[in-house]
Amino acid sequence: MKYLKIALLFLVVGMISQPSFAKVDLVTLPGRDTTQLTIYNSADLTLVRDGRALTLKEGRNQLQFSWANTLIDPTSLEMLPKTNADKIDIFDLTYPPRVKNLGVWNIKSGIQGKVPVELTYLTSGISWRAFYMGTLAPDEKTMRLKGYVRVTNNSGEDYENAQTRLIVGKVNLLDQIAQLAKREHPYGRPGAVPISGEIQASLKAKRVLMETAEAMPSVAGKIPEKKEITKEGLSEYFLYTIEGTETIPTGWSKRLPSFDVAGVPVVNLYKFEQRRYGDRPVRFLSFKNDDTHKLGESPIPGGMLKAFRIVDDTQHLSYEGQSSFKYIPVDEDVELNLGPVQNVVVEPKLMDYRTDNYTFDKKGQITGWDEIRTFRIEVKNTREVAVRLEIKRNFDTNYWDLKNSGDYGNFEKEDKDTVKYALQLPPHSNKEFDYILTTYHGHRQDNH
Amino acid sequence: MVGLTAPFMARARTTLVALPERDATVIRLDNPMATLIEEERQLTLQKGLNKIDFSWKGVSIDADSIRLQIIDHPGQVTLLNVSYPPNEAALVWEIASESDFVETVRISYLLGNIDRLITYKAVADKAETAIDFRSYLVLRNFSGENFDNAMVKLDDGEAFKQAIDHEETKRLLFLKAGNVPITKIWRWDSAQLPWDPETLNNKNVGIPVSYRIVNNKTSGLGGHALWGGKARIFQVDGHRSTIFLGEDVSGLVPVGEKMELYIGDSRDIVVTQRKMKEKQINIRRTQHKSNPRIVLYDMDEEITAKIENFKDTPAVLTMIQHIPGEWKMVNCNLEYSRKDANTLEFEIDLPARRDTGMAVVQLKMNYHRLNLRP
Repeated sequence: MKYLKIALLFLVVGMISQPSFAKVDLVTLPGRDTTQLTIYNSADLTLVRDGRALTLKEGRNQLQFSWANTLIDPTSLEMLPKTNADKIDIFDLTYPPRVKNLGVWNIKSGIQGKVPVELTYLTSGISWRAFYMGTLAPDEKTMRLKGYVRVTNNSGEDYENAQTRLIVGKVNLLDQIAQLAKREHPYGRPGAVPISGEIQASLKAKRVLMETAEAMPSVAGKIPEKKEITKEGLSEYFLYTIEGTETIPTGWSKRLPSFDVAGVPVVNLYKFEQRRYGDRPVRFLSFKNDDTHKLGESPIPGGMLKAFRIVDDTQHLSYEGQSSFKYIPVDEDVELNLGPVQNVVVEPKLMDYRTDNYTFDKKGQITGWDEIRTFRIEVKNTREVAVRLEIKRNFDTNYWDLKNSGDYGNFEKEDKDTVKYALQLPPHSNKEFDYILTTYHGHRQDNH
Repeated sequence: MVGLTAPFMARARTTLVALPERDATVIRLDNPMATLIEEERQLTLQKGLNKIDFSWKGVSIDADSIRLQIIDHPGQVTLLNVSYPPNEAALVWEIASESDFVETVRISYLLGNIDRLITYKAVADKAETAIDFRSYLVLRNFSGENFDNAMVKLDDGEAFKQAIDHEETKRLLFLKAGNVPITKIWRWDSAQLPWDPETLNNKNVGIPVSYRIVNNKTSGLGGHALWGGKARIFQVDGHRSTIFLGEDVSGLVPVGEKMELYIGDSRDIVVTQRKMKEKQINIRRTQHKSNPRIVLYDMDEEITAKIENFKDTPAVLTMIQHIPGEWKMVNCNLEYSRKDANTLEFEIDLPARRDTGMAVVQLKMNYHRLNLRP
């Protein structure tokens, strides 16, 4: 589908007669020379840069651009001459009355002949997302991590041989591009602005998604090669540029490999915190986006990771679970939540309870006391691999003291009423430790 | 043309004087609430009483705003009265003239459904130190009236000639300034953003990022106030192209004031804030022998914040902390300024990430909230 049309009108007539305007067709329709798509994933937004060569005459030129059946935001339209910019004056962009999806640039040219121009605009309907597949080694110490991006074009416009760039980051948007594209008048109208609420309804209905690259039209005679994706930081965003060009007709999507790293060291991390996760430990797959983990080249965009494990010598797999993945900057820790487990067990038990240090007023009423609780924490790793376990305990008061004993690993105070124990558990092992928690109440809080 | 009958043509009710085509027309857009039209016409007046029809069918004119000004012979030509015919968008002027004159009059009125918007486009350089700043004027005419050759007047600057038809929208470049310096601001407010990103189950906390532009001569601006409007911000990418950074809407920015445009969120700066201590101290109780009640106490509180910069460039984080009520700082390892009684602002220099890992800055502040009552 080719909906974007450019027409160059050598208009001598002063006025454009409205009813016939859309039919003015006497003109060259220069095709796209180059197309660049910069696609965002935090919003339904794509910046399109469209290079075309126009033949201008000296004097006044009118350039007509129409975009019926697309999802272009007409207020974002811009045109820039790439050469002779000082000789070409763009007076204005007019959205003529009673004609939809059409704009006319009024240009005064000091030169005659071919002028390359660049049109830029924002469109909705093209999106991309990242997803991942992780394959753990049998010992679960390393993982092969494959990243993919999937680009989907539902914009109503075919983009052929487009340089495709993907933006990772969260942009601030005031209006949805899809809504701006549906407006009756590009900038609305003074007074009440009725905006059609049906966005993309018709487009979504006929949405057909094709899963793999095999289904895409292929360029005959070329041996496909794996494409590189270059990654670079810009402002608060990351820009991924896919090598070469892509053709993504409307309605299609395309999956592209983003990276493939084998042997990423991972830690089997289990977390236990009753207040947050309930009575079962939750399994996390932990690694870091840095050099030592063979990553760290660029941030990792958020997405879903499906984790598998190689279970035997013939590379059979088991499915370990899936986790959504937030955006991970370079050098940040990654923790993938694979859900609660039963093969690592944490059992906290209250072993002793007593009260002490009562204080009384002159009439003999109780004004303060201490409560002393002894807890035993038993942990079991029933797995064949070593794991790391983090246990958090929350106290319901800010007035407390704690004494640890036994095999409690690394201990730290997390905040005013939370502490954390970190333990390493070898395969098939048990550990236990105790803590005595003293909490202060009433007047006994005064000095603690 | 749909809805575009010439509304100011003379009507044949009292055909003493025909209202001729207008000459100079000015569209005044200086008031964002209403648009004032001023048009001049030449009336051929006869000695004695003249009646002039003025009608505006299909055009939303505020009838009470219509004024007629005599330009050439104000002493000899007098507007006597104005009458309104029934059920018509029209009026009739009765004008007394002391002689036969070809008189220039100026008719002015408030016209509805015609206005202007301002939009901005800014393209930042790769280092984010300056922007190429453009402002566009968007004229929207849905008034029912065509203007073939009007002077459009904004609140300052030169008036310019412009034709605009009914239901037409035009976008014109209106202001252009290159190399306008910008300051990039990251802002973390403890009252607005979550304290502990780990508890958010795989969601990033975005720290709002803004560009600050000063409307003054040093910036290459400062000629007049910058009107409020939507701004779209782009950045050159070093590959002869740009990326879209974000958009925001600005209010009116008078000369000398700052425009702050929120472009998007940074996820490369991570703040983890925790309250490490919150204890009652200096407790004062009633003198009751039995069950003395607490009447007054102070609260000893300690806040720590770990700020990690994962960016490979340095940044200055503006951190806002709030302490309610009466308080005194006991100890704080970073400098701050008091923005008001309960708001503290820290300007925290964050070095760039190094090969050894992200850059970390720790804030630790211990303060007492004073004289609290249960």
